[in-house]
Order: sequence, then C-alpha cells, then structure tokens
Amino acid sequence: MDKYEKLEKVGEGTYGKVYKAKDKTSGQVVALKKTRLEMDDEGVPPTALREVSLLQMLSQSLYVVRLLCVEHLDKNGKPFLYLVFEYLDTDLKKFIDSHRKPPNPRPMPPALIQSFLYQLCKGVAHCHSHGVLHRDLKPQNLLVDKEKGILKIADLGLGRAFTVPLKSYTHEIVTLWYRAPEVLLGSTHYSTGVDMWSVGCIFAEMVRRQALFPGDSEFQQLLHIFRLLGTPTEKQWPGVSSLRDWHVYPQWEPQNLARAVPSLGPDGVDLLSKMLKYDPSERISAKAALDHPYFDSLDKSQF
Amino acid sequence: MELDLENPLTCVEEEQYDTVSALFDSESDHMASQIFLRSFHAESLRREAIALILQAQYSCNLDNFISYLAVNYVDRFISKKEVPEEKPWILRLLVISCLSLAAKMKKIDFSYSDFQRDEGFIFDAQRIQRMELLILSTLNWRMRSITPFSFVYFFISLFELKDPALTKALKDRATELIFKARDEIKLLEYKPSIIAASALLCASYELFPLQFSSFKAAISSCEYINQESLNNCYHVMEEMVTNEWDEYIFDAAVSSTKTPICVLDRHYKNSVSEKSNTANTLEAAIKLPRGHENKAQRSQIQHFASYSQSLGKGRRTKYDLSAAPKRITRNE
Repeated sequence: MDKYEKLEKVGEGTYGKVYKAKDKTSGQVVALKKTRLEMDDEGVPPTALREVSLLQMLSQSLYVVRLLCVEHLDKNGKPFLYLVFEYLDTDLKKFIDSHRKPPNPRPMPPALIQSFLYQLCKGVAHCHSHGVLHRDLKPQNLLVDKEKGILKIADLGLGRAFTVPLKSYTHEIVTLWYRAPEVLLGSTHYSTGVDMWSVGCIFAEMVRRQALFPGDSEFQQLLHIFRLLGTPTEKQWPGVSSLRDWHVYPQWEPQNLARAVPSLGPDGVDLLSKMLKYDPSERISAKAALDHPYFDSLDKSQF
Repeated sequence: MELDLENPLTCVEEEQYDTVSALFDSESDHMASQIFLRSFHAESLRREAIALILQAQYSCNLDNFISYLAVNYVDRFISKKEVPEEKPWILRLLVISCLSLAAKMKKIDFSYSDFQRDEGFIFDAQRIQRMELLILSTLNWRMRSITPFSFVYFFISLFELKDPALTKALKDRATELIFKARDEIKLLEYKPSIIAASALLCASYELFPLQFSSFKAAISSCEYINQESLNNCYHVMEEMVTNEWDEYIFDAAVSSTKTPICVLDRHYKNSVSEKSNTANTLEAAIKLPRGHENKAQRSQIQHFASYSQSLGKGRRTKYDLSAAPKRITRNE
C-alpha cells in the first residue's frame, strides 16, 4: 500500500472507509476502499473471493466505476483488502445539492438529466444482463465527472449476495428513500425491479432537486409512496396483501404524477410512471427504458 | 455468485447475445503469457502441476471443472511469477492453493487437508492463505476465468441444430476434447474461443461428417474468429484426436489393469513424447501382443466409421446419441 499516498477520507461506503489517494508512481488519483477481510481456517473467505472477482468482471463497463486493482495488507496481524477504484470528482447527491443550495441554485439542464438517466440505465442494464442486482442505488452511489458529463455506478456487489443492506458497515442508517415497495413490504423474491424503482426515484430527484419519497422509517416510507401513487390494490398488484409486512393502510387515491415533476415533459413523465409501477413484473426493464421515446432526442452515438 | 465455466460472465439467458462481444474482448486476460510458454522449464513445471492437480482430483473425487479451473490459475500464475524448480514444495503449495481457490469459486465445500491426503507433510492454513492472496493479486483477482467452455454455447447456436439430442452429443464430445486439450502445451497458445471452435469442429467431423463443412463455414463467418489461428489450432487438435484413438485402443486392451496412477503416467508420457513415438513408447510400456492390438483397433474404427456414417445419412429416428459411445465400448 506504500504505492499510494492517502489524500483525504471521502466517505464511509456501505462496507468501509473510502479514501481519495494518489498513486505515487503514476500520479493517478484513485479511490481506495478499505475492507476488513475476515480470514477463517479456510483462507480467503469464499464470498469475498466471489464478489470481488464478480466486481472485477462487471467493472469492465464504462458505466460502472472501474476497479483498477485489489491490494491486500496486514495491519496488526489483521488482513485488509483495499479495492482501488478510478476516482471521480463528485457524486450525484453532491451534484444535485449544488443545484439546489446557494450560492447558485438552478435547475439541472434537461439534456443533462436525460444523459445521466441514460447512462444510469446503461449501467443497470449491464449489471442485470450479468444477473447482478445492485440493490442499493441512490445518488450517493452514482459518481459523476462534471467536466465530461459522465455518470457511473459505484458501490456495487460487495456483501450483497443475500440481503439488501439494512445497517451499513459503520452502523450508519441506510437510506430508505430509493427502496422499492416490495422490499419495504418484506418480499423475499425481489428481482431487477428493485433497481428500476430506485432509478425512477433518482430520475424524479434530478428533476425536482429533492427526494421524491423522503421517508425516515420503513412505515413512513411506504406512506410517502402511497400518498403519491395511491394505496396499492390487489387488482393493481396481485399478491400485495399477502406480503409479509402488509398491513391495512389508509386508502389514498393516486395523484397526478406530472405534478410531482412539473418541469418534466410528457415522455419523461411516461417513462417515470413505468419505472414506478407497483407490480414489479410490470415495471420497465433497464434495457427497455433505453428505447423509450424520452431518449429519442438524445444523441446516443456518444455512448 | 458461483462460477459456471460455461457462463463466467453470469449472463442471464435472454441477454447472452449482447454479452458475447464482452467474452471475446476479455478472453486474453485469462490466458498464460506467450513468452512463458516457450520455455522448457515452463513445460516441465506445468506437467508436474497438472499431475498433482489430477492426483488431488482423483483422491478427492473433484469435479472436472474444478481441476480445469485450477490448471488455468496455475498457468496464469507461473507465466507471471517464477516458480523455482529446485523447491518442489512451492509448486505443491501453489497447486493446493489454486485448487482451493477454484473450489471456492465453484462453491464447493472442502478443507485444505482434503487436498493433501497423499502428501508426506501438510501445509498449515496460514501458509495456504498467504499463497492464495499472492495468487489473487498476481491474477489481479480475475478469477472468473474465461475458458473454452464459455464459448461452446455461442458456437453451437451458430450451427442452428434443431434436434436437442444432436446438440447434446456435439457439446459432450467438444467438452471432452477441451478437457484433453488442456494437457497439450501446444494448444495453450490459442485463445479459449479458438480452442472451443476447434473442439466443436473436431466433434462435428466425428459425429456429423456431412455437416462438417457447413459448421466450418458458420464458425468461419463469425467476426471474432481469426481464420488462420482456427486452422492451425484445428490441425493440432486433429492430431490430438488421432493420438487419442491410439490411446483408446490401449485403454480398451488394458482396462482390467487400469488405475488412476497408471492413467496419469501414460497420459504424461503421451503429452511430452514425440507424437510419432507415442505408440511405440506405450507399446513398450504395456507390452501388448501386436495382433491383439491391431484387431482391437480395427474393430473400434470400423464401428465408429459406420456409426458416423449412419448419422451423416440423417437417420435420426430414435437414435439415442448419448448411448452411442457406450455401444462402441461394448464391442471392445
């Protein structure tokens, strides 16, 4: 690890600290993600092995943050793994904040929203085509290169083999804002739809510059969703009332979605509504989203 | 997600064709370096490593794919890091660690001692862990190896076979040839996709000779395939198959005395010796009466030829292809 000079701590990822660092020989700026490697009697833990190598494979896509290399290090006899990623200067959360807060609050340019959403769908389609769900898509996990207008998916794969993370590595509460209703209702058989729900929430957030469903508990999160989209019915979403955490909820009627995203045109609203379908099987796939008319005006040759 | 060598990129079924280019793009990352392959030391080291891996495979009853994957790791490792010949324990440690990594990638439960049953002494867990980490960083954690198996489905799909039984027969035979090809150092210089294509062509030549040219055309028209490389590889593999037939006859003749160890011995002698000498060396080793051998060989080949012909004529009704090789065996 002497190869790198730590510059600053840039965050607490879901699975450990993240540092901005510089490769002393090449001068390349990288992101170092430090993870404890729990060695047992059988050496390198099989899950870490499988997940890091899966990450290595997925990061071949332009729309996924590239894993440059993996270094291991013993510190006080404990093995650590450093995942060395390419460094991007900001993330979508900070980027949206900079458009909402002083000194210069302004809407995000519609063409940029369109381009970011397209890149996000590309990255999600890539993961899904390899059978991998992200399960924790949120603006903090989407890294942005402001100069080049590039967006890439980060924080992918690690430790996600079985469950949606509830508590982070550092016991920071994981945000619920982008969580799909089927996960909130305790469904265990969720699929690619969980990521598409998050993509929809992120899309709306870029337009609104504030979260679409800012719940602070699982129950509140559901109420936020129901108030806008209406309380789901068996007709809309067969099987919903048999989900593990289903209760009797107040009956809300669906609101007009366009009013929640006033600056978005009809094609955009249509795409958003398809991402926010209650029934996961009806939700649009990432691949199908790429062909939605909302992207017709985008110059796709650049991707 | 556990590694499936036939689908290392974990492509979901309906997306397979979108990700084919990704397979071809990154296959070279999973090969041993060419410079290494030209050294004599490499060849003997590799042979030794494969023997150790197969020994563990037999004694632990491991899946073929695990040993295949372990050999891939060993190849890539020894082509990047020098393994001293005078310290044989290093090679053994490398082999055990590669097997362990392969088993973990395939989600197979095992313990280190399983792989060391036949050894004089046992490496402790910590030493193996260190070796595992060294292997991982040397291979840059690219452990989802792209191997010839990864391309089999794609190439078969180009053939547009209608009958699932034919597809299965072709795939099974090609798989067998890919396993064999691993032991031919001459084939190590070819990309996994070229090995897969050659194995399928050899298999189709044996099973459906009449369709061979259309299969060949289908593979040749694939944009990712270098024609010259395919031709060269195909010829090396053809030679391997011819030798395999010789070997098979001997196997048939001495099957009663066959043990894993003697299979190994013969196998390795075979892969190093000059091809033309193979038969002589083997013959000397097992001292088979000449007349007996020729008779066995003839009957095998005749039977096989008539079997291939009948397939070629398109008599597909009620053919249980998977049973066909057994019929050959019964005639031994």
